[in-house]
Amino acid sequence: MGSRRRPARPERARGTLAPVTPPGEPPAPARVLIVEDHAVVRGVLRLACDEEPGLEVVADVADGASALEACRTLRPDVMVLDLSLPGELQGLDVARRVRAEGRPIRILVLTGRTDDEAVFESIRAGVDGFLDKSAGVGEFAEALRRVVAGERVFRPEHERGAVAELGRFVRGFRGSAGPSSGFTQREREILEYLTVGLSVKQVAKRLGLSPRTVETHIAKVYRKLGVANRVQAISRAASLGLVEIDRPGASDRPGGRR
Amino acid sequence: MAGGNGTTRRSGARTPKRRLGVVLVDPLPVVRAGLALLVGDRPDMKVLAEVGSADEAMEVLSRIRLERVVVLVGLGLDGDHDAHWLIRSIRRRFPTLAVLACGAKADAGTISRALFMGADGYVDKNLDPVRFVESLRTAATGEMVLAGPPTDWVGQIAEGVRRQHDIESRLTAREREVLRVAAEGLTARQIAERLGVRERTVTTHLGRIYGKLGVGGRVAAIRVASMSGLVTVGALE
Repeated sequence: MGSRRRPARPERARGTLAPVTPPGEPPAPARVLIVEDHAVVRGVLRLACDEEPGLEVVADVADGASALEACRTLRPDVMVLDLSLPGELQGLDVARRVRAEGRPIRILVLTGRTDDEAVFESIRAGVDGFLDKSAGVGEFAEALRRVVAGERVFRPEHERGAVAELGRFVRGFRGSAGPSSGFTQREREILEYLTVGLSVKQVAKRLGLSPRTVETHIAKVYRKLGVANRVQAISRAASLGLVEIDRPGASDRPGGRR
Repeated sequence: MAGGNGTTRRSGARTPKRRLGVVLVDPLPVVRAGLALLVGDRPDMKVLAEVGSADEAMEVLSRIRLERVVVLVGLGLDGDHDAHWLIRSIRRRFPTLAVLACGAKADAGTISRALFMGADGYVDKNLDPVRFVESLRTAATGEMVLAGPPTDWVGQIAEGVRRQHDIESRLTAREREVLRVAAEGLTARQIAERLGVRERTVTTHLGRIYGKLGVGGRVAAIRVASMSGLVTVGALE
């Protein structure tokens, strides 16, 4: 599995990032745990860390259970964590458990997942940095150094994604004062049909109305939404929580949140 | 060089036809004046109204016909109705208006409450003016805005929203109403008068509320409700 255990280090102050060292000696390097199931990537990360004078890899593991075990026995200072791991324990589960156990360990997520939900859930789980695998080794090393130093490291696009996901999350919870109250039943029905791609003629047939009537309703809906065409209407309605658009890879939303 | 509203700045650059309407709601005249100057300076925005109370805001909004509008709600609103009331009311009556809560270094709990009430985002008054105005534009597109607080607060904010939802869903609408009035410090009798029911009914409701919230009495119930944002005890900021 590729895990190389070093002899246990002498006890030193926990919870501090800059351990107390005798004067004249360089500070002890930060102890790194790598959690990554792809052997090649694991190897590259290890090499990258070995290059850094301030970092020392104490172990590299390929699944969640081993990661938790390593955290408990080796007490690393920082963990490089992949989100997609084999078996029951995923990367997010590892992060949550570690935080629940109150471990003073910094966590840098390094993942192939770039969706908003991944960043959002990572931040919720309490990680200190988020990097996707499009990052080069140099960027990775820089991010790891900064996380070790106590910084929170997120790319601007990930920050935006996390906030956007927060928006969806919050809207999922707002039941009582919903936006749908501003629309009639008929208008909401028509909006739903438009969202799944029916033409005016098809909508008219479904509802037993004339196409002319349907168009009048549609015009009213556009006015209420403050938009000029169907694409904008669907987009606006979705962001208001009026309709749901199927997004590829999206998990079940209403009520399905942890 | 800033052009006035609706004027041509220089050849080739024209003000967009559909400007973003902004309604400013804040109890402090100086804050409103400052925001009005800031917004009025943008060719693509227009201050539709500036008011100092929630009631005035609802009145003004009912007369607005413009399609793209952002309402900036200062969290320090006081008087008969506070900012939470206003945010909820706007959501209910004017669903297409974007609402942005505006505070001064609000914490994650306060922000999560504003979002749960229905705000489309939060912007901090301590933000630099350019970014502040930018957040108005973002809110108008329907995107969530979190301008000012660090991004890693999204975790705590999400937790706050979830907690409030849990508490709210445990109580019926009537029970929530009783609790809100009770939080004003009224006796059961006064609550009954306010809600137009018998005193006996109020005490029954309260008993059920305590059971559902898992508390032993009124003070604890109000504390739980206050922590989750169901009621607001004291000023918001």
